[in-house]
Amino acid sequence: MKLYEYEGKELFKKYNIPVPKGVVVSRGEEVPDGDEPVFLKAQVKSGDRKKEGGILEAKNHAAAMKGAWELLDKKIKGEQVEKVLVEERVDAAKEYYVSFSYDSDYRAPVLSVSTKGGSGIAKAHIVPVDMLWGVPNFFLRDALTAAGFPQEDIAGVSRVAQSSYSLFIKEYALLAEMNPLFKTKDGAFVAGDAKIILDDEKYNPGERRFLDMDGDIAVLASGGGASLLNMDALLRCGGRPANYTEYSGNPKSDVVKELTKRVLSRPGLKGCWVVGGTANFTDIYETLKGFLDGLRGVTPKPNYPIVIRRDGPRRAEAFAMLKEVSEKEGYDFHLFGSDTAMADTAKIMVREAYGKKKRSPRGSQKTA
Amino acid sequence: MSILIDKKTRILIQGITGNEGARACREALAYGTKVLAGVTPGKGGQRVEGVPVYNTIAEAMRIHAAINTSLIVVPGVFVKDAALEAIHARIPLIVILTEHVPAADAALIVHTARRYGVRIVGPSSIGIISPGKAKIGSIGTAEIAHVFRPGPIGVISKSGGMTAEIAVVLGRAGFGQSTVVGIGGDLIIGSDFADLLVLYKDDPETRAIVLFGEVGGTYEERAAEYIAQARFKKPVVALIAGRFAEALSEETVLGHAGAIVARGRGSYASKIRALKKAGVHIASSVEEIPLILKRVMGRKK
Repeated sequence: MKLYEYEGKELFKKYNIPVPKGVVVSRGEEVPDGDEPVFLKAQVKSGDRKKEGGILEAKNHAAAMKGAWELLDKKIKGEQVEKVLVEERVDAAKEYYVSFSYDSDYRAPVLSVSTKGGSGIAKAHIVPVDMLWGVPNFFLRDALTAAGFPQEDIAGVSRVAQSSYSLFIKEYALLAEMNPLFKTKDGAFVAGDAKIILDDEKYNPGERRFLDMDGDIAVLASGGGASLLNMDALLRCGGRPANYTEYSGNPKSDVVKELTKRVLSRPGLKGCWVVGGTANFTDIYETLKGFLDGLRGVTPKPNYPIVIRRDGPRRAEAFAMLKEVSEKEGYDFHLFGSDTAMADTAKIMVREAYGKKKRSPRGSQKTA
Repeated sequence: MSILIDKKTRILIQGITGNEGARACREALAYGTKVLAGVTPGKGGQRVEGVPVYNTIAEAMRIHAAINTSLIVVPGVFVKDAALEAIHARIPLIVILTEHVPAADAALIVHTARRYGVRIVGPSSIGIISPGKAKIGSIGTAEIAHVFRPGPIGVISKSGGMTAEIAVVLGRAGFGQSTVVGIGGDLIIGSDFADLLVLYKDDPETRAIVLFGEVGGTYEERAAEYIAQARFKKPVVALIAGRFAEALSEETVLGHAGAIVARGRGSYASKIRALKKAGVHIASSVEEIPLILKRVMGRKK
């Protein structure tokens, strides 16, 4: 979960990290009076905000009002600007880079620092953090010296880095980044920007990943790994997925039902592919019953081909149920077990959906 | 032989009184793997499937000194404490099945385990099976345990779901498995491909290794680096999922939590490039794995 800059800066304040004085303005609100020059920063999640014209400078109050309205009318990388952060201009002598994030090479947090912060940052000096030690002064002195920070700035940068590390650990962040960290002409250290990503496993555990795509084949895939593999297979044989999603573990039928309704609510679908590997412990009857319950709730009733490839505990029972339902209620089910490769059912899905060389596929309506 | 678990495995289950814990207990016992004790704070004195439950690991270890493996199935918020307790008791192998463990907790667990010379598998592991010898976790439950058959192939998979699928396809081609390990797809895991390749290297029963990887993280790249640097002799076949993510924004997180593409490494292209360079055979579907194995296992490497 990525935070907006203004949310990140609220967190910085909570951890005593100085940030420029600022105020958040939404549509219909006034920019507070004041004739100091300010920066206007569109609050969006894209990392390309500056390149996309999302940051403006205003010399006086009238220009600030005009700029704020302009930004609030803007979309940046598809995201409508809802808020603008109006911030005092900081007289910066230097722009540094400081961040904490997790790294799979070290399997630990890493500190990344650079004396060349700002939007042009290319390379940082990266040091793993020993979690039982944290980031004591000597550790930061080592890292900052090695990265070429001037000795007179090391104490100041270290203080900010230590606060940032507490935030990183206590708030369960995956990334806490200051880019730039200003050194002002008065010698103070101020976080010019805040990029914070919080760990979804802490805040939204089990939240389902769902991505709308441009295609016309609805995909209900099981398992994180198998779902990725099957998206690859579908695209490779010319299929156009309408979405990406997956359900893992042993979901209750209600969960699958709701997901099915969501996936099949898209207009213009030409097919539905329910695909997964051989389950280790997932109750296949339960999940396919959930799918069926969801399917029955979709209007108009789907008459496009539905290719199902799944195996594992209670698969035989599940397929018997689906066969009966397809005969009674007239769904175009094509059922396959582990005898048919997952990738082959991608081809069958494409052929059935797009009607190329219409012929009766092997295994159709059978428990393969 | 096999790696990690075998007939000498003696299990402690942390969280044995929960649904998942009781099931894991039944499953292990049904496979003939010994579960000596369980731990759930406050539930000491109960029994689950005949296995005695204790309040603490210290208590369990005093009575069952033969315990050499812990299986953690406690809810996410308790994983950190449960793992630290097992590390503190110096249980040499700790398998964490629980999903949704925050990166901060996982990193602390992995770091502490390293310092105390203890091995972690997981979090988000589906478990480990050495077919015909021992089983721990949710891998190959009773109804489909038969798809895992003894043989010469080691399997390491980020995806739990893919372990049975791979075993089915291997089995159909006549390839059994020495040990199949679900390492989990999280950003921070205790044992990665490279860590386990070290063990397979010295396991005489294992003649080839299959890796199932995914976009995100750098564990596949680390495997490639290890294979090249150790002059790894046994053939390795890799299937990497998530090519389609190339077309998406770098910030879109897909599949498992670890799929955050960073710093030029972690992408599909980066993994394939690194693995190919190290001499790993790349499969583009599950079905291609046995075809490649047949081709490369015949010839002496």
